[in-house]
Amino acid sequence: MRRPNPEDAPAGRTWIPRLSSLARFTFVDVILWALRIGVVFVVVGGTIGTLLKGRYDAAQWFDFLVFGLTIGSVYALIALGYTMVYGVLRLINFAHGDIMMTGAFAGYYVASEFAEDGLLDRSPVLAMVVILTAAVAVSTTIAVLTERIAYRPFRHVRGFAPLICAIGVSFFLEQTFRGALGASIRAYPDPKWQHAMIKVFGFGVPRVEALVVVAAIVSMIVLYLVVQRTRMGTAMRAVSEDTDAAAMMGIDVNKVVVFTFALGGIMAGIAGVCYAFVFKQVYFFMGFTPGIKAFGAAVLGGIGSVPGAMLGGFFLGLVESIGPALFLDGIGITAPYQLRDLIAFTLLIMVLIFRPYGILGERMAKKRA
Amino acid sequence: MTFIKTWAFATLAVAALAGTSAAQAAETKGGVTDDIGVLAIPKGAPIQFGGYWVMSGADSALGIDAKRGVEIAFKDHGGMLLGHPLKLNVEDDLCNAEGGQTAATKLAANPNTAIVLGSACSSAATPAAPILWKAGISDIGTADTAPSLTAPDRKPEYDGFMRTCYSDIDQGAADSKYLYDVLKARKVVTIHDGSPYAQQLALVMADNFKKMGGTVLSVEAVAPTDVDMHPVLTRIATEKPDVIYAPIFVAAGAQLLRQSKEIPGLEKVPLIGSSGQMAPDMIEAARASIVGYRITYPDLSPEAMGKGYPKFVEDYKKAYGEAPISGYHANAYDAAELAMKGIEKVAKTDASGTTYIGRKALRDALRATTFEGVSGPIKCDAYGECAQFKPAVYEFTNGDPKTYKIGDNPKKIWP
Repeated sequence: MRRPNPEDAPAGRTWIPRLSSLARFTFVDVILWALRIGVVFVVVGGTIGTLLKGRYDAAQWFDFLVFGLTIGSVYALIALGYTMVYGVLRLINFAHGDIMMTGAFAGYYVASEFAEDGLLDRSPVLAMVVILTAAVAVSTTIAVLTERIAYRPFRHVRGFAPLICAIGVSFFLEQTFRGALGASIRAYPDPKWQHAMIKVFGFGVPRVEALVVVAAIVSMIVLYLVVQRTRMGTAMRAVSEDTDAAAMMGIDVNKVVVFTFALGGIMAGIAGVCYAFVFKQVYFFMGFTPGIKAFGAAVLGGIGSVPGAMLGGFFLGLVESIGPALFLDGIGITAPYQLRDLIAFTLLIMVLIFRPYGILGERMAKKRA
Repeated sequence: MTFIKTWAFATLAVAALAGTSAAQAAETKGGVTDDIGVLAIPKGAPIQFGGYWVMSGADSALGIDAKRGVEIAFKDHGGMLLGHPLKLNVEDDLCNAEGGQTAATKLAANPNTAIVLGSACSSAATPAAPILWKAGISDIGTADTAPSLTAPDRKPEYDGFMRTCYSDIDQGAADSKYLYDVLKARKVVTIHDGSPYAQQLALVMADNFKKMGGTVLSVEAVAPTDVDMHPVLTRIATEKPDVIYAPIFVAAGAQLLRQSKEIPGLEKVPLIGSSGQMAPDMIEAARASIVGYRITYPDLSPEAMGKGYPKFVEDYKKAYGEAPISGYHANAYDAAELAMKGIEKVAKTDASGTTYIGRKALRDALRATTFEGVSGPIKCDAYGECAQFKPAVYEFTNGDPKTYKIGDNPKKIWP
């Protein structure tokens, strides 16, 4: 007979405590519920307060939305790399943010070359395609090399060695780029056409931001199709379900892992160029913060789940952009944008308290259990 | 009962520990007695100076410039002091608190460190100065301008700290005057990045601005690593300020500058920065959007500096093949000069050639030393403030980092 599994408890176990369990209500439960009520109060109360104050007009709310979607799509693109590698190898690839940095740097050299001879203004489409190709080529190469040199020897090691190795790779990439290219900040070129406004629902949006959001969504759809519809994608999913069984079915696990890292590298390269064309600055440490945030986004969406990473990235970006103005302005907190990361990560924790496997993670987690 | 005993014992132990750390035992070496310790330097051994500045990252111009100032001061002394060669051990403090703490711990761990110069960042000096003074080492700041470091109410663990740069109390007062009187601004928004330097400077400016009759609409804050400034700027746009005052550092400063021009309602609102952004990296990071950008800064024109400044700049160019890359080289030179004068005053060399330096005596001698420095007159008050401030405003004129030269790009526009 099958042992009863606590995971099979009736749905809603975390939502409302049943009367019979009130007796077992511990101190920790009280704190957790107080936290939940507090956050709900801040979110609802703050929102009502802000809307009553009427400080921001519709156009400004729309701007917040666009800013959030822009940074969110960068987070989402990076988060995909984390989530795919985790799904296949159960490895948190901490160097992934730095792989994005390598792509952004490669793009920088091509882009400034193009800006100098005017190609970026003359034929923007061609220039952007070449810049993207260069960035993707470099980041993919480095992602695949990282796997081959640093991660493969650790693949069957249990414990924390692979994780520590990933952190080491992150430092290695940062310091190598700092040593080779210098520690100073460089600025991506700023062609005029990127600033031209396009109309969306009657509101103006800078072309570059629209471009980034569209590029991110298109690459995510393509990635989703690759994972769901191709033979290689099917093999990836099989390896992520059960590596040994997949190997016995004749799947070349090494090939699948390399393919996974390559896909992650491609997404990181695209993310690097998108990031750098919106925020302009590239330097050796630029991958760290977005990397950490994207990792948060991947966990939020349910680590291992491809659509979850996308959702998590957009969620985090939107909360960072809209959250402080919407929740904190209303309850009279000054300088709300100082608390941007606090809000984003508090909401992340809240979501995880309600849904420990992340927004879309539960189904997969159960299957594996 | 045991409970009370344990507590009494613990309290005593803590008190004893606190006692030893606040005042080290008096020491006598080679006929020199000092309340907190004596450094003995054998014949032929170097006199070791510690230095901690930001040597990497976007703000490295600030630190490298200071280090060069000290090197030139050593060179002017022929690299020798009291028959001992001079040695400078430099640590990178990364311009943040963790870096400052690590750097100070390393320098304090070297028993032969005679004195420490630096930092260029208040964030680093705030945790570092107490660590150094606990080891009996005096610290002369070269560009760390936060008011709290030399405030009359500073804690005793800062007793070993002094600086040859001004306090932001003066910078803040001058900045509010510029905004109110020259730009005719009446409503201002300030932005800081959580660093002691930016936070205190923004606060002092805002206080003075209010006293003059202006309104401070809000005090905003960003993180030094933030890249997306659009939301905070959109929020500021709803307040309709006359001017935005953001005395922060290069990376976040350049993002603010570039993005503020893209926000509806802020296209014409001037953004004013301050001394953390005087670096070629600022142009590199902001590129074309930097043209017309103004920052407040100490006046570096030769007429505002000390008599020796023109010669110093010549020496600098000869030694490093470029004009000074930031603004605090002269302060660093004067810090080294002050340190050497102090050591000369208190050091005693015996017949065997060993030099003895009393640590507390050195601190007292440094405070009592006055001279005409290349950055202006140096004279310390009781809280370690040794420099005077002459305000100026600089405006960037070109988006090519190669054109960076203090005085031309950015060029002085006020007074």
